[in-house]
Amino acid sequence: MLGIIGKILLSASFATALLALIFYFVAANSDQDKTLKIGNWLFALKTTFLIAASGILIYLIFQHQFQYYYVYNYTSLDLTSRYLFSSFYGGQEGSFMLWILFSALFGFGLMKWTRAPYKAPVLFFMTLTQIFLLSMLLGWDIFGLKLGASPFRTIAEEMPNAPFLQTNPDFVPADGNGLNDLLKSPWMMIHPPILFVGFAMMTIPYCFAMAALWKRKYREWIGPALPWTLSANVALLTAIFLGGYWAYVTLSFGGYWAWDPVENASLVPWLFGTAGIHTMIIQRKSSVAQKSSILFAILAYMAVVYETFLTRSGILGSSSVHSFVDLGLYNQLLAFMLVVSIVGLGLFFWRYKELPSPKKESNILSREFMTVTGAIMLLILGLVIILGTSSPILGRLFVENPTPPEISFYNNWSMPIVMIMAILTVFGQYLFWKKYDAESLASALISPLLVTSAVTILSVILGDVRNLYYMAYLFCGFFAIVGNGWVVVRLAIKKPKVIGGSLTHIGFGLLLVGILASSAYNEPLVDQETSRFNAAVEAGEVTDEQGFTITQKEEMLVLDLDTPTLIGDRYMVTYEGYELDSSVRRGQQNYKLRFEPIDGGKPFYMIPEVYPMLTSSTRDNIQWSVDPDVRTGLMSDIYLYVGGSSYVQEQNDRVAENNSSMQNIADQDTTVSDVPEVQSFNLNPGQTVDVGNYTIRFVNYLETDSTGLPPNTTIGVRAEVELIHKASSRLVTLNPLFAVYSENGQSYIFSPPSFAREFDLEFQFTEINPQDNSIEITVTGLEEEYEPEWVLIVADEKPFISVVWAGTFILMIGFSISIFRHWGKERAKNKE
Amino acid sequence: MKPKLIIGIVAIVGFTSLLMYNFGESISTYTTFEKAQDQTSAHIPGTWDDEKPAEFSLETKRFTFYMKDEDGVSRKVVYPKPKPNNFEDADQLVVIGEMRGDTFHANEMLMKCPSKYNDNDPGQFTEAPKS
Repeated sequence: MLGIIGKILLSASFATALLALIFYFVAANSDQDKTLKIGNWLFALKTTFLIAASGILIYLIFQHQFQYYYVYNYTSLDLTSRYLFSSFYGGQEGSFMLWILFSALFGFGLMKWTRAPYKAPVLFFMTLTQIFLLSMLLGWDIFGLKLGASPFRTIAEEMPNAPFLQTNPDFVPADGNGLNDLLKSPWMMIHPPILFVGFAMMTIPYCFAMAALWKRKYREWIGPALPWTLSANVALLTAIFLGGYWAYVTLSFGGYWAWDPVENASLVPWLFGTAGIHTMIIQRKSSVAQKSSILFAILAYMAVVYETFLTRSGILGSSSVHSFVDLGLYNQLLAFMLVVSIVGLGLFFWRYKELPSPKKESNILSREFMTVTGAIMLLILGLVIILGTSSPILGRLFVENPTPPEISFYNNWSMPIVMIMAILTVFGQYLFWKKYDAESLASALISPLLVTSAVTILSVILGDVRNLYYMAYLFCGFFAIVGNGWVVVRLAIKKPKVIGGSLTHIGFGLLLVGILASSAYNEPLVDQETSRFNAAVEAGEVTDEQGFTITQKEEMLVLDLDTPTLIGDRYMVTYEGYELDSSVRRGQQNYKLRFEPIDGGKPFYMIPEVYPMLTSSTRDNIQWSVDPDVRTGLMSDIYLYVGGSSYVQEQNDRVAENNSSMQNIADQDTTVSDVPEVQSFNLNPGQTVDVGNYTIRFVNYLETDSTGLPPNTTIGVRAEVELIHKASSRLVTLNPLFAVYSENGQSYIFSPPSFAREFDLEFQFTEINPQDNSIEITVTGLEEEYEPEWVLIVADEKPFISVVWAGTFILMIGFSISIFRHWGKERAKNKE
Repeated sequence: MKPKLIIGIVAIVGFTSLLMYNFGESISTYTTFEKAQDQTSAHIPGTWDDEKPAEFSLETKRFTFYMKDEDGVSRKVVYPKPKPNNFEDADQLVVIGEMRGDTFHANEMLMKCPSKYNDNDPGQFTEAPKS
């Protein structure tokens, strides 16, 4: 019932949006305030419908209404309320809803703050994009033509042919599939919403550019558009950062960036948006670059839509680690992309001739030239990334069934581009604030260049950099930091409000240096034997049993319990056991690894986690997932995860054994496997004995009551025995019984087994020796030849990741300072 | 025509051709075990052959399993890392590496796995508890 209301609300929202679009169109053409007001009311009504529909979806999720496919597929009973809430946007449909909600919110901002003549056309385009997004949620079926996929469809609608539905059409699953375990992370709460804030905001420069073309007012639009674009950029950057950090610290992707299509999807709009910011700023300063400002604003949004198309239409197929379910929206997404591009670029080229051009060409040593060139470099970088991401489409020019490009394609092309950019930032910033000719600029740059060279040489020596190309790259990165630092210091003294731009460029320089250090000098931490092996592999001296040369290095190592091992020539690492901790995730193990720097630093612990994936594990197969531990340091991070352990293996063996024993019963197979070993220990009260992976302690005798005793018992006594599993400190207390009873005049000993089921051990209290007050405990299942507890770890030392984060933060701060500055200007104009 | 324009066009054409050439070089085509005999970095899509053993060996520190390629040919694959998360869950694997004899040595392995927008194959629906 609620689902039907939800569907109707979404359709109503779509219909009112269409109406609003018409009113905005008329208002934009005729400049009638009254029509615009009706449009605004319709916009508000449309948003109300959408909010109501979202409310219903959230309600259904919280009420566990599993007859709805969306609720079934993304939630389950055991989710806590914050993850229930996040699962609202955990699926494709909900994420579209969230996107439109943000877009609508910013629509109200535009209504309030945008001035005529841009107001109506801006809202027209804002509504247009929302119509396309809303159409993805309709779930209409018009004569077999499917329009959108409704979040409110039931499982019966989703799977009409499922056998269980044909027998019982009203079937409601008892529990849902649940949110993917990897997404049960606090980052899930924050990363997707910020990303959609960014996407929604990136629509706004597009709308302003289109409004400028429509109303033929090519100058004033940048006033309001600039702070919006800057905000969109900060939001996207924050989202990219959060995504990278999430991937790095909890998802064990191994790093913060992998040139994955989904990552690129947020980077390219950011690059184009940044290009647009550059040209808008220079347009405001000196009436140049009007064409490129409009073009970049259009391209930035086109990039958002194009990347949405790539990642959500299913076209990427197997080339991305993020798989997106194909909802059959291919045609709709394609239409969205084509309309945005054709309308955008079409109007741009239609008006091209009348777009203002600069009166004279700028000198090379001018801020105009530098800024525009910088923007063009950003554009080129974005285009290269788009090309790489589009390999499933564009690769067909070369081969059938193309694979994604190698990572080196992205690295090889982006490196020289960012090096040029880094140099340009310094020239650009110097020229931005003061006029120079070649000679005066050269003399002004002498000191920064000297400092840069010194820093570069120092880092080359300290970091043992041998690659010439890397040296040049480092020089460029440091030049951007030092040169822009110079400008920041000078500006901060005079006009601290305007340092935003220079500050972002310092952040950019830091980012470059940090990226190189952390990726090119990433070093696996292995023990000495493995590192000798790896050296031999590198020399091509190792062959496998078939005589092939082994080329793959080993990047992992096994640590036995309580056996210190020297790894990376720097740390004595001891595996001190694990702890079972079900407080966050059922069945989770926290492994305790003690790191002791051999140069006498302070020891520390790293605690990586392993847990079974409850959503995808079945009775006969446990799937384990890992949560790495990252020790963040100023100079370097240690990144470590567990690839396996004796505990994990035990659990897997147990499951496998259960399976085979069940099969054995079915096969009437009665062969008994090996006979368990039996060991006996003599213990005094309070005495402890170490056996293999366990410690056994005889605490004391216990008084016993008559329960469980055979008739005619003459002696009945229990022992309190503690069994401690050394690796996990798990403690089991057992009270085995020793009794002597008489039957037919004869005495018998009765010592029934007590079970420690967790460890498959059986305890018996088999004898009392009154002369030395000791008892005999017999343990069945304890192997004399035991395997020590072990853990397999993969550890990396990644230098200067902190610099990557620092660079990102400085970029954010710089952009934010600029937002305040430009927004302040705009507010002042609004008040006039 | 102005000389600047010519330089500009030449630069753009040169850049684009270089870029496209390099792009063409850096992609390859998805292939099969049979065809990958002589390739050094072959991308082979396929599915895990779960009827044959898959295990990580502590001695060699390699994860060994069998994969069926798109022609249905099953080959042993050796991967020098621990078994990845979600390995069993993947509805498609892509191994990147080279054939040596009858064994494929993978340097990298991609799994088409449930991630952000995970989907479930309809087959799983039958396992839902019948209330």
